[in-house]
Amino acid sequence: MNDDAYEGARLDKNDVVLKTTDLEKAFGGLVATDGVSIEVDRGTITGMIGPNGAGKSTLFNLISGFYENDAGHVTVNGEEVTDLEPHERARKGLVRTFQTPRRLEGMSVREAMLVGPGPQKGESIFSLFFSGSDVTEEERANIEQTRELLERFEIGHLIDQPSTDLSGGQMKLVELARAFTTDPDILLLDEPVAGVNPTLANDIKRFIRELNEEGQTFLIIEHDMPFIMDLADPIIVLDQGKVLMEGSPDEVRSDDRVIEAYLGGAGP
Amino acid sequence: MSAVSSWVSETLVRDATERRIFAVLGLITVLLVVGVLTGVIGPRFLLFQIALVGMYALLSLGLNVQWGYAGLINFSVAAFWGIGAYCAALLTAPNSPLGLGLHPVFGFLAAIVVSAFIAVLIGIPTLRLREDYLAIASLGLAEVIRAIILNERRWTAGSSGISGIPNLMSWLPLTDAATTAAIVVFLIAVVYLFLRRVHRSPWGRVLRTIRSDEDLAKALGKNTYLFKMQAFVIGSVIMAIAGAFYAHLNLYIDPSDLVPLTTFYIWIAVILGGTGSNRGAVVGAAVVIAIREGTRFLNDIGFIQTLGIDLAPLRLLFVGGLIILIMRFRQDGLLPPKDELIWPAARDESSTGGASPSGAVPDGGTSSNGGDDR
Repeated sequence: MNDDAYEGARLDKNDVVLKTTDLEKAFGGLVATDGVSIEVDRGTITGMIGPNGAGKSTLFNLISGFYENDAGHVTVNGEEVTDLEPHERARKGLVRTFQTPRRLEGMSVREAMLVGPGPQKGESIFSLFFSGSDVTEEERANIEQTRELLERFEIGHLIDQPSTDLSGGQMKLVELARAFTTDPDILLLDEPVAGVNPTLANDIKRFIRELNEEGQTFLIIEHDMPFIMDLADPIIVLDQGKVLMEGSPDEVRSDDRVIEAYLGGAGP
Repeated sequence: MSAVSSWVSETLVRDATERRIFAVLGLITVLLVVGVLTGVIGPRFLLFQIALVGMYALLSLGLNVQWGYAGLINFSVAAFWGIGAYCAALLTAPNSPLGLGLHPVFGFLAAIVVSAFIAVLIGIPTLRLREDYLAIASLGLAEVIRAIILNERRWTAGSSGISGIPNLMSWLPLTDAATTAAIVVFLIAVVYLFLRRVHRSPWGRVLRTIRSDEDLAKALGKNTYLFKMQAFVIGSVIMAIAGAFYAHLNLYIDPSDLVPLTTFYIWIAVILGGTGSNRGAVVGAAVVIAIREGTRFLNDIGFIQTLGIDLAPLRLLFVGGLIILIMRFRQDGLLPPKDELIWPAARDESSTGGASPSGAVPDGGTSSNGGDDR
């Protein structure tokens, strides 16, 4: 815990929101993440690409705490979070979405959104009975925020729909909006436009950009090359569990190693 | 009056099918009352059945918190019920091995404390893991509790059971049967109101999120372990209260009451009534007990006697048949939970609430038929 990497992270003076140092993870004999060190600067949209099996999802799970790492560190705002549970990391401002969001059974879109905001008073049974008016007040504010966010994301008309009735693309939008209600320092989006029709994908791109202009930091995994090349800068390329390179979209596009990795030159 | 009618239209009865279900239940109630008035059914018997149904309704409400709200698979309903029953019996019966003869209040308190303690004990190792681990552990717990009660004769009187459990509140100017029926109605009312409040709260919302997608709840910063633990403890305590009540209803308890069959009757009641729905749990319990107790009398019907077959032992078959019918015609149970549960006081400001006519999804993306696609 108290080795050099940790001290190093602390000296970053908060320009770096998220930093991983020599992260390692193996599943049996398969090394899925092999000493990955990345940094995500505040205010950026950082992209993460790589061929199938490059270790992107594993890295996301390590960063968000859903997998335990074998070695290395993760820091958020210079604070060590390596030993924290996923929900504790979320409260430190590290919030992720999932590739295929499950629909919340028996919940309207409004309700599905209301799960987002940070520790709520109404989540304590004690408060429900002994400070009900505080709960009501907070709930009203959250409902209002939900309505505004959904309208901003141009899905305000869906607020009363059962969340099980949404299309995949609409669910992705709800997920993005909900993740944003947690007031995150960095949002990790796992394939935000996978399976989404092009029109909606463009909307999602626009919303991400808008949120970013307001200061929201993103780390995004995406397979859709035009989408991520247009949106993200810098881009981190993973291959076989290692960082192959990092650079601007133009640098990535013209890098021989990236082309080779994608065309399978190094693969089996 | 308008408050009552709006409660009926918004909370109790929500659509035409539910109105029909309640009409049938109402009809049965009228028939029972007529039966009592004409002397076909003894009032004492009916009151005992009401108390029994009430006790099962409590158990179903308890399981509904665990399975219906949070998706926790608990197969030790009978064990928590037995813990409650034995706490009450051991502390209040003068001739129990402890021989304390305390006031029934202490029995109920002990039932609450002991069941909460055991629920925490079981929850600590299992609730951090995948849901099936709780299922396995609870299956084991049910047998362990039964075996302990059966074999620790010094403390529990073993297979000979405990008799001489006092009646509850016998100072009330009612018959004992009427008193117990009134008490169970009171208990259900208290538990129901408590659960109604927590179910429609942000707390209940987190549990329902956990039920559908625990990883999502974690990713949004919810300590899912703590929420599941609370649901597990609350459900178990309600079951133990039902058990303590049963001890004072039946006035006798022995380990054979703790068989797994009780657990599965409650599971059937919750699924039948509508998983996640409090009113469904109560109605489901009533239906299951009506079938279980009602089939006793089938052989008394002249027509069936002429057939020369014994129908009473087929009660499980009837329950099974009913489950199949429900699954075929009303998948979500008789009275499924609402589509939206918002903290009531915060509702008025938030539009009309309730789901708008669904169906028209103005997006050409993947169509969704409620599929679980991960």
